[in-house]
Amino acid sequence: MVNLTIDGKQVAVEKDATIYDAAKACGIKIPILCHDKKLHPFGGCRMCLVEVEQMKGRLIPSCTTPVTEGMIVQTTTDEIVKARKLVLELLLLKHPIDCPVCDAAGDCDLQNLTYEYKVNMNRFVDEKFNHEIDYENPLIERDMNRCIHCGKCARICDEIVSYGAYTFINRGIEAKMGTEFDGPLNCEFCGSCVSVCPVGALNSRPFKFKARWWALQKTKSVCSYCGTGCQLTLGSKDGKVLTTIYDENQGFHNGQLCTRGRFGYQFVNSEKRLTAPLIRKNGKLQEATWEEALAEVTSRLSAGKSDPASVAALATPRLTNEELFLFEKLFRGTVGTDNIDHSAGYAHEALTKGAKASFGVTASPAEIADVQKSNLLLVVKSDAYETHPVIGFEINLGVKRKGIALRIVSDKKGKLTRLPGAKTTVHAPGSEIALFNALCKSVIDQGLAAEGVAGLDALKAAVADATAEKAGVTAEEIAAIAKDFASAEKALIILPIGQGYPGHNAALANAAANLAILTGQVGKEGAGLLIMSEKNNSQGAVDMGIYPKGTGLNAQAIIDGCANGNVKTLFVAGENPVVSYPNRAKVEKALENVEFMVVSELFLTETAAMADVVLPACSFAEKSGTFTSLGRRVQNVRKAIPAVGLAKSDFDILNALSQALGGARYNNQGEVFTEIAANVPAYKGLTQAGLKDEGAVYPVTLAAKLVPAAAKASAPAAGKLALVTGSALYHCGTMSRFGEGPMYVCPDAYAELNVADAAALKVAEGDQVTVTSGTGAVQVAAKVGKRVPQGVVFSPYHFGEGSVNTITDGSEVTYVTVAKK
Amino acid sequence: MIMPLIKGLQITISHMFKKPVTLQYPTERPDVKPGFRGLHTLNVSHDKAKCVACYLCPTVCPAKCITVEAGEDQNHDKYAAKYEIDMLRCIFCGYCVEACPVDAIRMTEQFELANYSRADFTYTKERLLEKK
Ligand code: SF4
Ligand code: SF4
Ligand code: SF4
Repeated sequence: MVNLTIDGKQVAVEKDATIYDAAKACGIKIPILCHDKKLHPFGGCRMCLVEVEQMKGRLIPSCTTPVTEGMIVQTTTDEIVKARKLVLELLLLKHPIDCPVCDAAGDCDLQNLTYEYKVNMNRFVDEKFNHEIDYENPLIERDMNRCIHCGKCARICDEIVSYGAYTFINRGIEAKMGTEFDGPLNCEFCGSCVSVCPVGALNSRPFKFKARWWALQKTKSVCSYCGTGCQLTLGSKDGKVLTTIYDENQGFHNGQLCTRGRFGYQFVNSEKRLTAPLIRKNGKLQEATWEEALAEVTSRLSAGKSDPASVAALATPRLTNEELFLFEKLFRGTVGTDNIDHSAGYAHEALTKGAKASFGVTASPAEIADVQKSNLLLVVKSDAYETHPVIGFEINLGVKRKGIALRIVSDKKGKLTRLPGAKTTVHAPGSEIALFNALCKSVIDQGLAAEGVAGLDALKAAVADATAEKAGVTAEEIAAIAKDFASAEKALIILPIGQGYPGHNAALANAAANLAILTGQVGKEGAGLLIMSEKNNSQGAVDMGIYPKGTGLNAQAIIDGCANGNVKTLFVAGENPVVSYPNRAKVEKALENVEFMVVSELFLTETAAMADVVLPACSFAEKSGTFTSLGRRVQNVRKAIPAVGLAKSDFDILNALSQALGGARYNNQGEVFTEIAANVPAYKGLTQAGLKDEGAVYPVTLAAKLVPAAAKASAPAAGKLALVTGSALYHCGTMSRFGEGPMYVCPDAYAELNVADAAALKVAEGDQVTVTSGTGAVQVAAKVGKRVPQGVVFSPYHFGEGSVNTITDGSEVTYVTVAKK
Repeated sequence: MIMPLIKGLQITISHMFKKPVTLQYPTERPDVKPGFRGLHTLNVSHDKAKCVACYLCPTVCPAKCITVEAGEDQNHDKYAAKYEIDMLRCIFCGYCVEACPVDAIRMTEQFELANYSRADFTYTKERLLEKK
């Protein structure tokens, strides 16, 4: 600790702190334009000048000057104020000062400081810039005339996002923040640059001219896309969510969001939202009242009570914990069926079966904070960046700032594989389990196994014939990863799961857990296994027990049951099996066949369009409750706007049904959380009020044990390409299709081919191709690159048109032929 | 008792010899002084309303009677796609005029605002535009 005096106040701070940090720590605000707490100090704006007793004679930039023992600092003297005024005058010299039409006004650091320092005239005169403004970009509008050259955009894009879209071009007064060849911006569109720009040089295009900053109602909530559970602030006005607002103090990610979180909110107020209940009459869905719709559903469900096995229910893990709890209580309790599930039945197995068997809990042993505390990260699939982009940022930061070693085992390359020092092992598609078994064998063979691991002999026998070849990699690669992993002080495996990854199942979780347990990398911080569940509340859905526990049918079996007539009544809360479950034709046939289907949804999705009753539900912005993110963090979701149209939250729908069926009735969702805290052991002692803004990570007690996992022999078909599915960076599930932001950047389904395969098939980027498998055929646009290896095709699963589930059947890899249309 | 009565009468009588303040409206018209705060008008320049839809007037308006909705024109400039004043709520304080950074709104000497229906008191952008 270093002691110093700032404006007469004594402070003690870490020795790597700057004067600026020290002042902040004792509540003294130094004005600054080029600083963000997540970025390295830059010293570009000269607003933070201070006086230091020991360095008299000149003013010192506080943001780049480290503290020293006994420093005496003055942050405001007449001379400093004069200097700051000069800085502002110089900044305003070229600035257009078009505050009345600038969306940053009200939230603009330059405007605020100009006001605070009363800079109402300028001693200098010069022409203004005349840079061309980029109006074409659908998400980020760049008006470099307003830029004050703080460099924050370039630094955040480089340091945290690791994309590097911006750089300064030219020098001196000519300097400009430019893009690649000064061309249009074509990046990940995470909007981090927009969020840190202190002025209105970078603006969110979808929010352009929508409202003034001060008129927005700000509501702190949680992103409703992926399992990362980023906190965000919704800016709403007149019952509409208009934007997301940056708050550098939110969440583990300090306000960082990915493109979905930042620009994908428009689905909330989409024109396509369902605003009234629909009932199928004479074969057509027609508007009805809530009374009619609920009466219909109630009568079907109460009839089902006498034959509970004929009732099944699917829920989306996008619902709140309170809603899921009620869902479980209604169907497993009141109706009495165990046929309840979510996420296609396999996208949560790594938790419900895998982690359960290996660690005795249905959650990840590790939490998100462990990523940065680790020494070595072993990422399964480079797609971890696409599925959970903000965890991707954490990995970027860990690797670049802390020198964490990064090993990636994947069936394709990706952004993570390009990080400094990253070592990527590209294995044969679908051979993850074989690969982990080979790693375990290598650990044992190299004598790196931790002392006294129980069940070692059984594992030894199970992996005896595991070889690197089975995973399509070399023995040296396996030996090297095994050695690095075992000898790292703290090593963490990162395993994304989800509907796009049928191969990331319970067995893979076991295989990965085996490696961690075998090498003693469990039960300490920065080590273990982080299973990254797909959706915003996937972990919550598991915690609330939304999966068959006894003899009930899982999601796949429910679809089969609908097809063979065993399931007569199907309640679907927000799932869209037609697009997201394997084998679309089979699912469609099954849902056509089921006697009665109710769907509560935000939109008339492909599934809802087949229902007998459609209930308009509320989005996350229209309700309160809690979500549990992948690191077991329970967080508050807060209502920002009233319900759209006649929509009711799933909580209200389930509550009404529960009461009508003779079950419990709650006065509000808060009561349910109290009940959750009393009934779900992990949530014991939690209260919604106690979660505050930061949420709470619930603890787990691990009972780690080795569970041998059998690798399926993959049978590559001659002359065919291996199709692997997954997530596109801009989408999550099938909901992001209703947000304008993601759809501007990634509107259509595609199949990504290797250049060599594309050349052999005479397919060029953008060509329409037909992809055919044993299950079906689908037409999509081709994308050609070097990311996927030869012999592999990748296709994301989010889209309704050209949906990849037309050709998949739920196996890890689908062998397909690709032909130009 | 009698004194106040006399005093009152004195005042009454004195008024008989003064010029009456009552204006025989509408035959006689008042002489509206400069700076009078009457009906608003939106200034026009180059055939366009000057208003840039900065929302400062609705922000400052104590009666919350101004509704602005911004739009983006062909040149990507901001303009008021909607500009409405609810004259029934307006208190004629003139803050909007003071707040406007681009001299887009003024108050005229027009004070005859009576009308027959409530709807007629909603002054849309069309009605407010300066008539040249
Ligand atoms: S665009 Fe914004 S963030 Fe980037 S340098 Fe200019 S002012 Fe700073
Ligand atoms: S989609 Fe996931 S990573 Fe992106 S902002 Fe939302 S929670 Fe964070
Ligand atoms: S203050 Fe002036 S420019 Fe701004 S909205 Fe009102 S009239 Fe328009």
